[in-house]
Amino acid sequence: MAMNVRLLRIDSRLLHGQVATNWAKITKVERILVASDGVARDRIRKTLIVQAAPPGIKVNIVTIAKMIRIYHDLRFSTFNVMILVENPIDAKKLIAGGIEVRSVNIGAISFDNSRKMITDTIAVNQEDAAAFKWMHERQIKLDVRKVSGDSSKDLWKYLDSKEF
Amino acid sequence: MTRRERVIDYLTKHNIDSSTVGLTTEQLAESLNIYRSNASKELNQLVRDGIILKGTGRPVRYWIKRTTYSGLLFTEKTPHDSNIGFAAKNSIDIKNKTTQIVRRKDENIFDNMVGSHDSLKNQVEQAKAALLYPPHGLNTLIIGPTGSGKTYFANTMYRFALGEDIIAKKGFVTFNCADYAHNPQLLMSHLFGYVKGAFTGANEDKDGLIQEADGGMLFLDEVHRLPPEGQEMVFYFMDHGIYSRLGENAKTHHANVRLICATTENPESSLLQTFVRRIPIIIQLPAFEQRTAQEKLQLLERLLTLEANRIHKNIRLNEDVVQALLGSVTYGNVGQLKSNIQLVCAQGFLNSMQNKDEINLEFGQLPPNIKDGLSHLASNRQELGKLTRLLETTMVIKPDAKKGLPAVDSYELPYNLYDIIGDKAALLKGEGLDQSSINNFIMTDINLHLKSFYQRDKLGKVDNRLNEIVDQEIIDLTKKIREILQKEEGYQVRDNFIYAMSLHISSFIKRVQSGKPLRKISSDLISMVQDFPDEWKLAVKVKNLIAEHYQFPIPESETYYMAILLVSVHSDSQKGNVGIVVAAHGKSTASSMAQVVSQLLSVDNIASYDMPLEMNPSVALNGIAEQVKKIDRGNGVLLLVDMGSLSTFSNKLTEKTGVNVKTIDMVTTAMVLEAARKTTLFDSNLEIVYRELREFVGYSRSAKLQGNTGKATHSEKQHDVRKKAIIAVCSTGEGTARKIKGILDNVLINNLIDDITVIPISVVKMNEQIKNIQKDYRVVATTGIVKPNIAVPFVSLKNLLQGGGESFVNLIEELNSERVSTETVLEQPENLTENVAQQYLEQYFTYLNPKKIVRVLWNYCNFIKQNSSFKMTNTFQINLIMHLAGAIERCLTQTPMTAEQSEIQSIKKDPFYHIVKQANEILQGTLNILLPESELYYILRLFDTEQIKVDTQNSNTLKK
Repeated sequence: MAMNVRLLRIDSRLLHGQVATNWAKITKVERILVASDGVARDRIRKTLIVQAAPPGIKVNIVTIAKMIRIYHDLRFSTFNVMILVENPIDAKKLIAGGIEVRSVNIGAISFDNSRKMITDTIAVNQEDAAAFKWMHERQIKLDVRKVSGDSSKDLWKYLDSKEF
Repeated sequence: MTRRERVIDYLTKHNIDSSTVGLTTEQLAESLNIYRSNASKELNQLVRDGIILKGTGRPVRYWIKRTTYSGLLFTEKTPHDSNIGFAAKNSIDIKNKTTQIVRRKDENIFDNMVGSHDSLKNQVEQAKAALLYPPHGLNTLIIGPTGSGKTYFANTMYRFALGEDIIAKKGFVTFNCADYAHNPQLLMSHLFGYVKGAFTGANEDKDGLIQEADGGMLFLDEVHRLPPEGQEMVFYFMDHGIYSRLGENAKTHHANVRLICATTENPESSLLQTFVRRIPIIIQLPAFEQRTAQEKLQLLERLLTLEANRIHKNIRLNEDVVQALLGSVTYGNVGQLKSNIQLVCAQGFLNSMQNKDEINLEFGQLPPNIKDGLSHLASNRQELGKLTRLLETTMVIKPDAKKGLPAVDSYELPYNLYDIIGDKAALLKGEGLDQSSINNFIMTDINLHLKSFYQRDKLGKVDNRLNEIVDQEIIDLTKKIREILQKEEGYQVRDNFIYAMSLHISSFIKRVQSGKPLRKISSDLISMVQDFPDEWKLAVKVKNLIAEHYQFPIPESETYYMAILLVSVHSDSQKGNVGIVVAAHGKSTASSMAQVVSQLLSVDNIASYDMPLEMNPSVALNGIAEQVKKIDRGNGVLLLVDMGSLSTFSNKLTEKTGVNVKTIDMVTTAMVLEAARKTTLFDSNLEIVYRELREFVGYSRSAKLQGNTGKATHSEKQHDVRKKAIIAVCSTGEGTARKIKGILDNVLINNLIDDITVIPISVVKMNEQIKNIQKDYRVVATTGIVKPNIAVPFVSLKNLLQGGGESFVNLIEELNSERVSTETVLEQPENLTENVAQQYLEQYFTYLNPKKIVRVLWNYCNFIKQNSSFKMTNTFQINLIMHLAGAIERCLTQTPMTAEQSEIQSIKKDPFYHIVKQANEILQGTLNILLPESELYYILRLFDTEQIKVDTQNSNTLKK
């Protein structure tokens, strides 16, 4: 038996206000795992993320490789967690590494010049789209919601309409 | 005719005066057809009022008082009559009082106290004597163990005095001397008051507690913590009734105050000698276990009634729950019983929420530590037998306003726990949680409430964590052994003795009890012990002490292990360690480094000196010199500094202080850690430590060097394929070390560390074992009863057990990660600039102009900082700016965040509502964008979350 992943969420800003207050409460997790090779090496971003954690919930920042390793490690199998990643490529790596999820929640992906805005908060480039396609092909629901109260939208339809 | 009048009438009519044999309570009760207890109550009251007389001897006989027989035949029984001449003077007092015929109806307040006729009988008599002694009563010292009811007893004395019109004014002023024990000035100013200008900040004259208690009673708790100056003034006040306020020369103020002092200290202790000499009445309260079975049961009933009164429901409990509760009292006496009862009642209340009339306490649902009470009690057969005879299978406690103890002691929660439970349960239910998770949530809460409350207070302060793994009995035995070793044998042991020894005894006893085979003694062990003949002799002694305590023979082999243990905890008190002074620029850089390391290694040879950037070098030199003097133990001082310019100080410092000083620059936490470790090793001296430290470059490399000598490269970490390990050392490598392994494994899992193994080993042939382990493992840290001599951090058992495991593991992680630097960069004030914030804004937002918006949001934060007491950390400020930028962007794209209607309604009650709303209005004024209420809700949640964190952090610090 592996770790119980209650939510896998993509958000460029990883852990911040709305995630902290809303999703942690809804998913009732005891721990948030932030999986990002970049942040694991960035002291300032680590500090910012730890500050944003809701009281009483533990936050760990791990590399993608370690995330996959501990997911399969029986010593951690009692954990109920929410995993946060920065982008769909990292999400794909985790799923390919054996982490089982039925849906992926997408909050926000920041715009830059390689990307196009496909919703009000989500910007994607070709690589992102390929990763989303990979997930879609594995029957993983691409659930677009900022907070749990929003109505769920399927990212696949946006990707389709924007001709990715 | 009232009962009282009937009694007087009967005695007068039957001429029962002192020429007769007198009348017993029994006879009177029978004649008047009233209850014995009522008869006794009236008689006692009449004795106090001086209307009737009371004989000595059993059964007690009473006579009506005739003027012709005044005083002469009158002998009042008091335990102290020989010392203080109470009897004679009291009779005069009573004569004066006979005029006052009208008395209060609430008879004798002491009668209501559990045990007032039994184990507290003498104490009650003493208390009354102290209060009634003319003209102003006698000052009293109450001595009793933690939780034995000193405050309650003192308060009862006060109510008795009030009932007897002994004191003029209502007012029971309490002052805990421990609260200000570290600041005598402040303590004195609280107690005696001060005059304007007595010290900085004394802007006006102020009265102290003594003045406040004028005409009433003043209760000084933990009086042994009163500093000497305070004692002098209190004694002077006791003797003369006059005192001076702080800053006054003459003692001109007068106050009429009854003083009751209390302490947990042993009356034999030197601390108390002065008090015992100068306070005439000493009342010793018994520990819970010295109370009779009947009293224990009564106390339990009282305390349960108190809870029943609060919840307005009956409380039903079975025999086994009663026994468990009584057995759960280990060290905290009635106070502990009270807190345990509050805990199980809170739990019962939660489980029986749907039952309007009754809550049911079931054995199966008790917390484990209370369940254990049953077996604890069962181990004392005699006591259990007595109790069982008094017990019924089921006990139902009904609310009863009369029986509930008044809530006066410090074990009382400052709020109504049941209201909190009720509200919270309703709230969680509203959110759609199922019953079992609701219960779970709330139980955690209750535990937290009670725990934080009692930790702030008296219970659980001592040997906290150790208690969870070792029986109190063993801890007590270990303390006894330490005392004998140190006092009788002059054998000094280190602080960690209690931990090391009690864990050792505990695992040994468990082994014997479980019938496991005895440990074999290796020839290594025997030859090692031969080198320590002194320890061997003491070990035999300790072995006998343990055998005597447990009444079973201890095998010879244990003596060997005991001797080894003694060797490892022996402290050589003559030898001073090399001192360390850390000096660095910045408000708290040096002190925080020093603090981290002192805590981590529990060493006391580190001092620090913080230097603001603008500080004049000569001021710094003087400051550092002071620290050098403070920390020097005769073996020289190592000065660790952050900048080369300071390294020229060595000679000047030596000149100034006469202490040999060596300086090393570029200080890091890792270096302080290493210095501390090296200086506390057996035979360290300044030269050696200095030489070794100059070569020190961080743990990753030095740990590495031990493995494959000389081949160190920059990417050494990848090359070192050995797995990481922490070594735990105990005397045998079995019992204690396994427990330590359990604790550390938990901490590791909790911190998601999957690549460090904990290896328990024995102190016998320790170095060889470590060498063997190092073939396969890279040892990153050690812990246990001795410090192995390898260059990695060591954490003491004491520190580990007191929750130091977390920070220990964090530090190891830090030291082994790529960067060896342990300051949190962000919280240095100069590191947060608009530029930093702007960078992040650029990275994450699409439409906003970071350069322009950062200014606006910066001002937003400043506005809140300036207009509220909220302490904004740099981290919080960046997160807030990022969140606000998100909110503005969402407004612009017209996709605001959603929140539940109920959530939005709740915002007005939020403590930050007004300030945030004002800030939003300023934002609207600048940008012409008004954030909707749902966004306001999320902003407030950020503030609330931060506040909760700060609060829990503070209470954690308090606990420590």
